[in-house]
Amino acid sequence: MAKAGDACLLRLEGVRKTYRGSSTKAVDNLSLEVAPGEIFGFLGPNGAGKTTTIKMIVGLLIPDSGRIIVNGKDMVKDPVAAKKSIGFVPDNPNLYNRLTGLEYLNLVADIYRVSAAERIRRTSELLSMFDLTSAAGDIIESYSHGMKQKLALTGALLHNPPLFILDEPMVGLDPRSSKLFKDLMRNHCDQGYAVFFSTHILEVAERLCDRVGIIDKGKLIACGSMDELRTLSNEAEESLETIFLELTEPEEAV
Amino acid sequence: MKNRVLSLILAQLNMNFAISHSRYYYLKKRQRLWEGILIVVSVIMTAALLSFGVYKLACAFYSQAAAINQERLTLVTGILAAQVLMLILGVALVIAVFYFSNDLPILIPLPLSPWEILTSKFAVILANEYLGLLVFIVPLFAAYGMRADVSIISYTLSSIIVFLTLPVIPVAIASILAVILMRIVGFTKRKDMLTIIGGFLLVLLIIGVQFYMQTKLSAPGDEQEFMIQLLSQANSLVAIAGKQFPPSIWATWAVSDSGTSKGLLSLGLFLGVSALSFGLFLAVGNKFFYQGVLSGFEAPTAKRGTLVKKSGRAQFSERTPLLSLAVTEMKLFSRTPVFVLNGFIGFLMFPVMLVVLLFMGNDPEIAGLWGSLVKMPEFHSIGALLLAAYFFLLAMFSGIPFSSFSREGKANIWFLRSLPISGRTAAMGKALAAEIMIVVGAVPGLAVLEYIARLPMTSLIIGVSLGIFSSYALCIWGVLLDMARPMLDWTDQQKAIKSNLNTAIGLVIGTVVLFLMGYPVYILFRRGYSGLVAQAISGVIIAVVLAFGLKVLGVVGDRLWSSIEL
Repeated sequence: MAKAGDACLLRLEGVRKTYRGSSTKAVDNLSLEVAPGEIFGFLGPNGAGKTTTIKMIVGLLIPDSGRIIVNGKDMVKDPVAAKKSIGFVPDNPNLYNRLTGLEYLNLVADIYRVSAAERIRRTSELLSMFDLTSAAGDIIESYSHGMKQKLALTGALLHNPPLFILDEPMVGLDPRSSKLFKDLMRNHCDQGYAVFFSTHILEVAERLCDRVGIIDKGKLIACGSMDELRTLSNEAEESLETIFLELTEPEEAV
Repeated sequence: MKNRVLSLILAQLNMNFAISHSRYYYLKKRQRLWEGILIVVSVIMTAALLSFGVYKLACAFYSQAAAINQERLTLVTGILAAQVLMLILGVALVIAVFYFSNDLPILIPLPLSPWEILTSKFAVILANEYLGLLVFIVPLFAAYGMRADVSIISYTLSSIIVFLTLPVIPVAIASILAVILMRIVGFTKRKDMLTIIGGFLLVLLIIGVQFYMQTKLSAPGDEQEFMIQLLSQANSLVAIAGKQFPPSIWATWAVSDSGTSKGLLSLGLFLGVSALSFGLFLAVGNKFFYQGVLSGFEAPTAKRGTLVKKSGRAQFSERTPLLSLAVTEMKLFSRTPVFVLNGFIGFLMFPVMLVVLLFMGNDPEIAGLWGSLVKMPEFHSIGALLLAAYFFLLAMFSGIPFSSFSREGKANIWFLRSLPISGRTAAMGKALAAEIMIVVGAVPGLAVLEYIARLPMTSLIIGVSLGIFSSYALCIWGVLLDMARPMLDWTDQQKAIKSNLNTAIGLVIGTVVLFLMGYPVYILFRRGYSGLVAQAISGVIIAVVLAFGLKVLGVVGDRLWSSIEL
């Protein structure tokens, strides 16, 4: 299993992506870094390029140019090695409905080469934490949306990935699971790993993230800690919501 | 305001044929426009070639039939084959479209009656059937019309009406049976498994009824009477052949005798029974459809707490990524009724039909043919090669390898693509799963074949080995094809497997490979070489096809895998 230890766990260098048939750049010259121990919140209005960026980071899309380095491995040149360092949960995690929860987790553990002893320990721990232990033997089709979300999170954490990537992870989680999950993200980073997640819930980002990046129309328009963002907007007491709205205001409204 | 059923039908047809989707991607965004053009041109060319083949075949058949004053046999044979095929394959299609469509959660909450939804879905099935009939029935009608003494206007008019009505009765019967089956299954806990078993039983029932009707008429003892009737009465065979499925007789008379009172009466009867069967389907559907479909929405009863009781190392056994992918693939396939009904139907139908044909038919011609085949000096060598061909044909017709990635759909492919596996591993896992399913599925047919042929152990081993390698070679090529152009955007699972263009392309590839393997063997036998030489040559050809497939996979696998962008 890949170990954290590089200077940064995720580095994007001048990443660009334009969808075929479109003249608009979905992601335009995006560069950022996520260091070990860091929770990085990725914010932006609808259609700003958040999901496209995340898809490129996890290898579901290929950038037109630029580099994506995950734990020292180039996602385009060596996707298998790069993916080994990632645990990913998309915004709407459709899982194999006709597998049981346990079969799904075993598949993930096999692919990431998690040893039998380790998978028993991690599975029991994570299932118990998400209150899924008693449902793990049932087929996923019988799960509620929230349970599927929690199972996807369990699968993504099973191999203890150095880099945890999440697209809108709070959607579908009940308040208790949401709290648990936030604690888990913090604990994960305390081990020297990193979390990169997109969200629309600005209060969560403000309270949880060490650094925040704001993307609009494919460009990273702001990036830094809350204090750095406040400096950027020249208002010491401003909330992330106000900063976000100021920075992403449509041009005609200015 | 447009009629809402019409609106629904148009929307369903739009989704089924991906009209807006294609317009958006191919014309507006110009994404892989070349691929769209290539597909359209290839489909038209293949359809034209097939149509021409059917036309020539129908002409030859007509000449033979006309010689014994039975020219209308041309029509009834084609119509009968089309209707029986639509009936047998219709069960799986109907179950997929009616009960496993992605759009049901959108349609059911709308203020629509069951019959309105069913009518729109029925129209989708008919539209799909017309595509097949265009290639098969139109050249048949053309061949008959060109040769027989018919009035062009009335013949064309009747042909068009019969063509448009042809799928209604078989699809309506398959729909009624499927709706009743799904209603019964809805009462039970193990819905998926019972849907699979019930679907196969329905197919067996349909085959059984037809077989019964056919044999009842050609029972020994009637032979003399039959010959007298054949020689004295023109086109008497139409009634006899059509007994398997009586509407085919009315359709035949409606076309062949168009413009006459007999033709009009037959057309009226055909249209009347078609309307009646459609009406009956709507009545049955209106009563039972929602019950069946809603029971499918119910989450299976969860037996919470099972993990705690069973928890132990056995549940956490380790596998290699390749094996784990293959095992998961087999579980997913075998637990999805639409995939099983489509993919495994050949595994079941072939042995059943073989048993019916050889043991229950009492057909002296088939028995004679078989007898002379067994007496051939190279029978054991030929038998081994036929066994190998059986494996290959199962892989070819099952559609399993050619839909490997398509079956994931847009919903699930993200998961595989985000895992740390290479394109080669992903493809090998899929191919391995397909091959295991084909080999296991071949066992019943193999048992029947061996029981009949009594091949010695060496021939059996050679045949099975060649079969396993040849079908595996096709699996590799099939998986490669589906990785190059996966059809991920589908509305029902049927479209992912049997209505997938990759499956059709796979049939063409399989036919070409089979010809490449079979023709040299045929030549060798003709020139008097021993069976062992033919087997060795087959083995070499199979090894080359397999090695080339693996090489191509190694070279382009990762690139194709990365090109599946989401």
